[in-house]
Amino acid sequence: MTSSRTESDSTTGAGHVIDVTMPQMGVSVAEGTIVGWRVGVGDTIVAEQPICDISTDKIDTEVPAPASGVVAEILVDVDQTVEVGTVMARIAVEGGAAPGGDGAPAGPAEPVAPAEPAAPAEPAAPAAAPEPSAGGADRAPARSHSPGRRYSPVVARIAAEHGIDLSSVEGTGRGGRVRKQDVLAVVNGTSNGRAGGAVEDPPLHIESPYRPDPPAPAPAQKAPAGADAVVTGGGTLSRMRRTIGERMKQSLDTAATCTTWIEVDMSRVEAARVKLGVTALAFVARATVDALREHPALNAWLNGEDYARHEFVNLGIAVSLGEDGLIVPVIHNAHELSVEGLAARIRDMARRARARELSADDVLGGTFTITNPGQYGSIMATPIINQPQVGILDFEAVVKRPVVVTDSDGNDSIAIRPMTILGLSWDHRALDGALSAQFLATLKRRLETLPS
Amino acid sequence: MPTLTYLQAISAALRDELRDDERVLVMGEDIGVFGGAFKVTDGFVAEFGTDRVMDTPLAESAIIGCAIGAAVVGMRPVCEMQFADFISCGFDQLVNVAGKMHYRQDLAVPITVRLPSGGGFSGGPFHSQNPEALFMHSPGIKVVAPSTAEDAKGLLHAAIRDPNPVCFMEHKHLYRRVKGEVPDEIYETPFTARVARPGSDLVVIAYGAMVDVALEATSDVDGASIEVLDLRSLVPLDEAAILDSVSRCSKVVIVDEANMTCAAGAQVAALIAEKGFEDLDGPVVRVATPDVPIPFSPPLEQAVLPGVDRVKEACRDLLAY
Repeated sequence: MTSSRTESDSTTGAGHVIDVTMPQMGVSVAEGTIVGWRVGVGDTIVAEQPICDISTDKIDTEVPAPASGVVAEILVDVDQTVEVGTVMARIAVEGGAAPGGDGAPAGPAEPVAPAEPAAPAEPAAPAAAPEPSAGGADRAPARSHSPGRRYSPVVARIAAEHGIDLSSVEGTGRGGRVRKQDVLAVVNGTSNGRAGGAVEDPPLHIESPYRPDPPAPAPAQKAPAGADAVVTGGGTLSRMRRTIGERMKQSLDTAATCTTWIEVDMSRVEAARVKLGVTALAFVARATVDALREHPALNAWLNGEDYARHEFVNLGIAVSLGEDGLIVPVIHNAHELSVEGLAARIRDMARRARARELSADDVLGGTFTITNPGQYGSIMATPIINQPQVGILDFEAVVKRPVVVTDSDGNDSIAIRPMTILGLSWDHRALDGALSAQFLATLKRRLETLPS
Repeated sequence: MPTLTYLQAISAALRDELRDDERVLVMGEDIGVFGGAFKVTDGFVAEFGTDRVMDTPLAESAIIGCAIGAAVVGMRPVCEMQFADFISCGFDQLVNVAGKMHYRQDLAVPITVRLPSGGGFSGGPFHSQNPEALFMHSPGIKVVAPSTAEDAKGLLHAAIRDPNPVCFMEHKHLYRRVKGEVPDEIYETPFTARVARPGSDLVVIAYGAMVDVALEATSDVDGASIEVLDLRSLVPLDEAAILDSVSRCSKVVIVDEANMTCAAGAQVAALIAEKGFEDLDGPVVRVATPDVPIPFSPPLEQAVLPGVDRVKEACRDLLAY
């Protein structure tokens, strides 16, 4: 990467301004909320550099700068929700490149809805009220990006190349500054700080039946007695939490949700997954795809009275984002993928989900969903259907249990087998219990008769 | 390979060139019968005669002017300034005549001007200067500054054989302090930088006597991996080597023995700011002599010259950034 040298043409150096608009993040998305600005007015930015984070009801993402230049204006405050197409910021671009010449969205000629912030009473709200500064000499940098951290060119470049969110990197330099070594440690996965993009993914779930001893029970909490209750945290729910809540309530209010379970002997899967070096989830996903092809009634959408079966399987996999919530990236055309292919895609999706790198396309178009908690040893759940799909499969912990096995001569004996309970929540509006049981039986058969 | 001092290496190069090429001659103040103020040309008159080892009047403009004339008609003169400080008297001949002759008249001026430079021995303001930046600023003149005995010989061979005027900055403090194995034969050291010690956390860029200071200062700075880049040549400046070090280390300390303002290190810093910006992980730090004359007083001189402690402190400070 060479330095960016701009031969400024002294006679035509006027430059122009490019608008940054709220992007369209999917056909059904009409508005988005600014979660935070990463740049402030006056900052020099390069094209494709993320300049702000936005949240829509489909996805959280970052908005890249449409062009290189200097941030001239920021028109939408943090937490404001604006319509798609609204001008959020303006970038002053040096030189005489024709406006909109290189894919700049919404050139100045286009009459965009005037960037009227939702709260008209509030006058443009400068970044934080100027504090009464003690000694007038204090330069109060007018930067709105929250932590006020600045990064050296090499740190910014490495972070950009590897998709690392620098705000999550612990700095060991002076005053907590992020040094090159710190960001390289994240790239190389040797960071002991908080995670960045390249840190090894935590497992989606844990197959081992052995659990560490639970920590000693904490001393009994004082009963929250009305006025004495001590609030130790909280606040307004995040946008993601609110969205999840709305969706789940809406699903329960819409679907006639039933849950059916089946026990599956995972011996073959356990042996095979060790051989392939992949997780059991990939096998369950592959078996689910096959079962959906056998029972296409479950690979469908139900919108009111419109019921549509899908030819292809777009498999959603729920990924936990910790306290923030969860997201369901979709593996499109999952029926074309082998177990190894599915495992790789699941890993990639989970990594990108946790790095907040999913695009809108990554979360759209799912036809069936698998949820896979269980890393804490839970064995059953009643998952809520991801609308407008008609089924969701719950795969929890695999636990060794004594089970009765019958040999070819019909003799019974008790054996220790890794077992799991697969749960299927299904929409009684679209199908009946017999079909869901058949689907689960197909899954069980495929998983238990996996070629060894 | 024999082990020679820096000074012996320079003598060896001159002697080899005088023996190898009859066009080569040396001229300067007291370099003949007396053998030179520092005895670089000791015994030369006996071997090569006074026509090729010429004592000159105390007139630097005459020395360089005559050398230019001789060069234009095909000789390869090597001028000695008794002290680099005295070059100011020959400035016009060197900068305006030698440096621009090829541009104006298409005539090559293959002269070498040896400039015993630098302080550290209580020589005071007239005998301790490092005037190389003056000539970096003047088009048409090359400037080299060896830090080792091997490079002193190789760079002097290359300077004498170069078709351009070359200022050969030989550091007086290194004359008898620096020793090393030096090949017997004639060899030309390229006008490029040399990694004196590889490293990855920080690079100290230096030349001349400051290379040793940099090596000593950074031999152990809290276990950090510190590179030392010896520029060797100031014109041409080895941009690729500098930017390569910067890209690997991302933190840079530049050491000049010369006065700070517009010193060679300032050009290096400007280069890094322009072409190495995206590799930087901290401010480009300079350590140099403040813009004052070099004092006679030994403690005062030691106070102004960049020393091991100052360089070490600058490195430690930048590493923590």
